Amino acid sequence: MAPMALRARLILAGLIVFWARGADAQTIVAASAPLDTSVTIYRAPNDRFGSDPMDVSDPPRWLAGYALISETREIDVPAGPAVIRFTGVAAGMLAESAVVSGLPVGVREKNLDAQLLSPRNLYAGWFGRPVTLRREDPATGILREERAVIRSAPDGAAIVQTDHGFEAMTCGPLSDSIAYPGVPMGLFATPTLSIATDAPAAAHVRVRIAYLAWDYDWRADYVLKLAPDLRHGVLSAWVTLASADVTSFAHTRAAVVAGKPNFTETHARAGNDDDVLIYHCFPRGTARQALVMPPPESPMLMHAAMDEIVVTSMRKAVVAQAENLGDLKLFRLPQPTTVAARGQKQVALFEPRAIALDVLHVAALDELNGSTPAQLLVRTRNRKEDGLGLALPGGKVRIIAERDNHALNVGQGTLTDRAINERVEIGTTTTPQVTVQQAITARTKVARSMAVTVTNANPFAVRFEGTFEQTPPAAIRDPSLPLVLRDGHRVWAARIPAHGRATLHYRLTIN
Amino acid sequence: MASIGRTAGAALALVSGAAHAQSASAPNPASSAQGDVAVTIYNNDLALIEDVRRINLGKGDVAIELPDVSAAIQPETVSLSVPDATIIEQNFDYDLLSPQRLLDKSVGQSVTLVHTNPTTGADSGEPARVLANNDGTLLEVGGRIEILGEMGRSRLVFPGLPPGLKARPTLSVRLDSARSGTRPVTLSYLSREFSWKADYVALFDEAGGKNGATSGDGHIDVQGWITLNNSTGTNFANAHVLLVAGEVANTLGDGNSGPIRRYPRRAPQLENAGTEASGRERLGDFYVYPIAGRTTLANAQQKQVSFLDVKGASARKIYRYRNSWLGNAADLQSAQSVIRFTTGAKDGVGDALPAGMVRVYMRDARGQPQFIGEQAIDHTPMGSTLALPTGDAFDVKVQPTLVKRGKIDMGEWERAGRWRVTTDGKAPKVSTIDTAVTHWQTTMQYRVTNARPAPVVVEVAQTGLDNVWNDTRVPSESQPGEQRSIDERVWQVAVPAQGETVLTVTFDTRN
Repeated sequence: MAPMALRARLILAGLIVFWARGADAQTIVAASAPLDTSVTIYRAPNDRFGSDPMDVSDPPRWLAGYALISETREIDVPAGPAVIRFTGVAAGMLAESAVVSGLPVGVREKNLDAQLLSPRNLYAGWFGRPVTLRREDPATGILREERAVIRSAPDGAAIVQTDHGFEAMTCGPLSDSIAYPGVPMGLFATPTLSIATDAPAAAHVRVRIAYLAWDYDWRADYVLKLAPDLRHGVLSAWVTLASADVTSFAHTRAAVVAGKPNFTETHARAGNDDDVLIYHCFPRGTARQALVMPPPESPMLMHAAMDEIVVTSMRKAVVAQAENLGDLKLFRLPQPTTVAARGQKQVALFEPRAIALDVLHVAALDELNGSTPAQLLVRTRNRKEDGLGLALPGGKVRIIAERDNHALNVGQGTLTDRAINERVEIGTTTTPQVTVQQAITARTKVARSMAVTVTNANPFAVRFEGTFEQTPPAAIRDPSLPLVLRDGHRVWAARIPAHGRATLHYRLTIN
Repeated sequence: MASIGRTAGAALALVSGAAHAQSASAPNPASSAQGDVAVTIYNNDLALIEDVRRINLGKGDVAIELPDVSAAIQPETVSLSVPDATIIEQNFDYDLLSPQRLLDKSVGQSVTLVHTNPTTGADSGEPARVLANNDGTLLEVGGRIEILGEMGRSRLVFPGLPPGLKARPTLSVRLDSARSGTRPVTLSYLSREFSWKADYVALFDEAGGKNGATSGDGHIDVQGWITLNNSTGTNFANAHVLLVAGEVANTLGDGNSGPIRRYPRRAPQLENAGTEASGRERLGDFYVYPIAGRTTLANAQQKQVSFLDVKGASARKIYRYRNSWLGNAADLQSAQSVIRFTTGAKDGVGDALPAGMVRVYMRDARGQPQFIGEQAIDHTPMGSTLALPTGDAFDVKVQPTLVKRGKIDMGEWERAGRWRVTTDGKAPKVSTIDTAVTHWQTTMQYRVTNARPAPVVVEVAQTGLDNVWNDTRVPSESQPGEQRSIDERVWQVAVPAQGETVLTVTFDTRN
C-alpha cells in the first residue's frame, strides 16, 4: 500500500471515530494547546545530591526525579455530557496526581488512557478484522500483498487467516508484516488525559491542569576556587535541570525545589516492554521482533562535571531566584525558558561569591591503628560574615586551587543541604603530605596508653583536627594536650609547623 | 501437485466477506459480547462482576460460549443463572492461540504446505499431515517424512483453528434448556486485576487561619478522587460501578488468605482514631462509593472520580524529631515537617477517608500551587486526627548529642539472694545478700536550630526509654517534658527566628 493511501485512510478513520462517539450522545472536545506552562523539578527521592557520576557509555534511559507541571488551556465546554481531551501532556504523567481547576461545573470523571498506539495494541485493536499482509520474499525481494484477518491475541503470536487458510506470520520463508487500515478507537499516540463533563450550558473557559510526571531531575554543582592563602575562595554554583520526557515545554516558567519532600517510588512507569509485539513461531523457529524503533537514548545531564570548567569562564546572565516554599526551597529561573524534551539546561544558582574559609587536615582517630594520610577539608559557615548566608542545596563541589595562575584540581567533595548559619564542611581528597600515625604504647588490664603523631611534609604550616567519635563510657583520660568537645565528639586541634610534627598522648579506659 | 482450489476458495470468501462488512470503520476495542455489566471493586485487587447478556438459546442440550470475560477471572467463582435451563457443565477456556499450541492441537490433522514460486510468485499447495510435535515438528508429505523448518521455500497453512484454542478468554457452558428463545443470562464471577484507591489533593495554607497570628495555624483544602485501575486485559463498557472501601478476605485462587495490602496496616500518621460516622452509604462495616451513571472501564485505563471536596478545614504545621536511644549525630539532622488536621465534622474534613495517597501542595510566592510532599494513609474513620509528614525541613534541624554517660550509685539496694542454713540441733540461720542497684546516668543535649524568619516549635522525642527494665527516670531536664508512653518522652522546644535552643535532659536507666 502506498504511503499516501495509508495516510488518507487514517484520516478517514479519524473522522469515523469522531462520528461514532457522537452517536453515543457524548461530544468530544479537544482542549487548546497550553497557553502557559510551568515546570517545577524535584530531585530523585532517594538521591541526596542529584546523582552519582554517570557512566557516559551507558546513560540511563530515564531520570529518577520528577516534576510538577502546570498548564493553562482553553476549552469550549458544550452543554450536556462531553469528553474533553488534553493532548501533549508529559508522557511520564502520574495520572492520579492530576488536578483540574477552573471548570464551570464539576468534573464527572477523568481518565488517563495508557493504551498507547503501539505495535501490540494496534494488532490487538484489529483482532477479527481484515488487514493487509505484506509478504516479501527475502531471496528475490518480491513484495506482494494479501488480504488477511487477524485471528489471535498479541500475547501468543500473530496467527492470521489468509486466502489459503490459517498461518502463523513470519514462520515460513516469507518476511511478513501487517499494514493496518487505520487506528482503532481508544488508542492515542501520546498519553491523553480526558475529562468527562456535564454542563448545563455551553461555556468557553480557561482551565488549569497540574500533575506530577516522571523523568525529570536536577542537581546543584559547585566550584570552589581556593585563594593561595587558603583562607579565602570564590564559590560559584550551577543548577542543571534535565528532562528525559518526550514532551517539550516552550516558554515555560521553570523552577527547581531543594529539600526532601516525601515521595513514594511506587508509581508505575509508563512505557514498558508490553508495547512490543513479538511474532513467536513454531518450535525451532526463531522469535522475531516486530519493527519497533528502540526509544532514542536520552541525553544525560550527569556528566556535566567536565563541562563545568568551561562554563566557569563564561559571564553568567541568568541567576536563579530563591524563595521559601513551606519547608522547602524553591529556585526559580527568572525568565521563561524552554524545558526541552530530552534536554538539559544550566543556570547559575548565585553569582560567584568571595567567601572566607579554613582549609584543614582531618582524621578520625577511633579506629586508627597504624598510619593514614590526612583528609583535606574545607570549612566555612553559611552566614553573611563569611560571604554566604543563603540556602545551599546539596550537590557536588569541585575544588580548584590557584597556584601561579594555574588552576589545580584539588579534588571533589559533596555538600548536603545547608540552611543559613549552618556549618559547611566539604571533605575532599586525602593527602600523603600530612600523615597521622597512632600506636599503643602500653597496656594494662583496664587501660591502654595511646600516642597519635601527625607529621607535616609541607613547606607551610597546616591546621590539623583529629576527631574521637566514640561516646562515653569508653573514656579518654589524661590527654597530654587539651581536647575540645564539639558536637558531642572530642576533637584534638593542633597547628603543625612546616616540616614539623605533633604528638598527643592519652589513656583509653574501658568500662 | 495438487491444487488448493476448494479450501482456499472458502477461506477467500470468508476473508472478503469480513473485509466488506468492516472495511468502512475503524475497530472499537470496546465493542464486545458483554451485556449489562455491574462491577463492584474492592481495594485489594479484587472485583465482583455481574454481566447480564441476552442470548438466544435452543431447546435441549445446548452449548453456549461467553467470550469477553475478564482474563483475570477466577473460574471457580463463576455462577450462571439462566431461566428455564439447568447447567450441565461449564468450562473456562483460555488456552491461548499461538503457533505452538496450534501445532500441538493439529497432530494427526491435515494441513497444506504452500510453496511460492520465486519467479512467478504463484502459490501451489501440497497436502500434508502433522505426525508429531515434540521438540520439532514432523510432517508427512506425499509419503515422505520431513522436518518443519528444513523444507526450504514452503510454509504451513492450517485449514481451520482447532476448538478450544481461544484468542480471547471465553467461558463455555453446556445447558439443558427447557425451551427455545432469547433469555437474559446472568453471569457473575470474581476477577483479579481490578483495584481502586483514593487520591487526595490537599492545598495547605500556612497562614490562612481565621486568627492567623500564631505560627503554624492554617487551613487545608482537600479534594478526594477515587482512582480505579483495570488491568484485566478486558474492557467493560457502560458498567454500573460500585466501590467498597475495605479489604475483603479472599482465599480463592492462589491460596493466599491475607488480603493484598497497598499500605501498611498501622498507619503511623494516625494519631487518634475517630469515632464519628460519616453519612455515606455502608455495606456492613465498609463504606461504599457508588459511581453515578454508567461508566466505561477500559483496559489499561486509569479512571478518577471525585468524591470529596472540602474547603478551609483547620490544619497546623508542626515539626517533629525522634531520636533513638543513645542517638548521637555529628551533624544537624532535618526535623520532619508535619501537617496535622482532623477528619471530624467540627473544623475538620468531616468524612471518612478511604486508604490512599495524600499529595500536599502549597502556593509559592507568585500564588502558584507547588508540590511539597505526599503521604499514604490507611482507611481513616471520621473524627480521627491525622499527622502527615510531608518531608524534611530544610531550615529546621536538630542535633542530638550524647554529652555524658556513666555508672552512678543511687544509694539503693535490692535483695539479690536469701538462704537458710539448718544445722542439727540448732536454730536455722538465715542470710541475705543485698546488692547495690546500678544505674547509668546519661546526659543528652538536643540542639534545635531554626533558619526560618519566624519562630517555630519543634516536638523533640526521645525513644527507647523502656529498656526492658521499666525503670527509667528523668532527674533533670531544661524544660518540662511529657511522658507519652513508657518508651517515649516528648518536649515542645520553642526556637526563635534564625536562632537556636538547646534542650538538655538527664536520664537514669538500669542499663
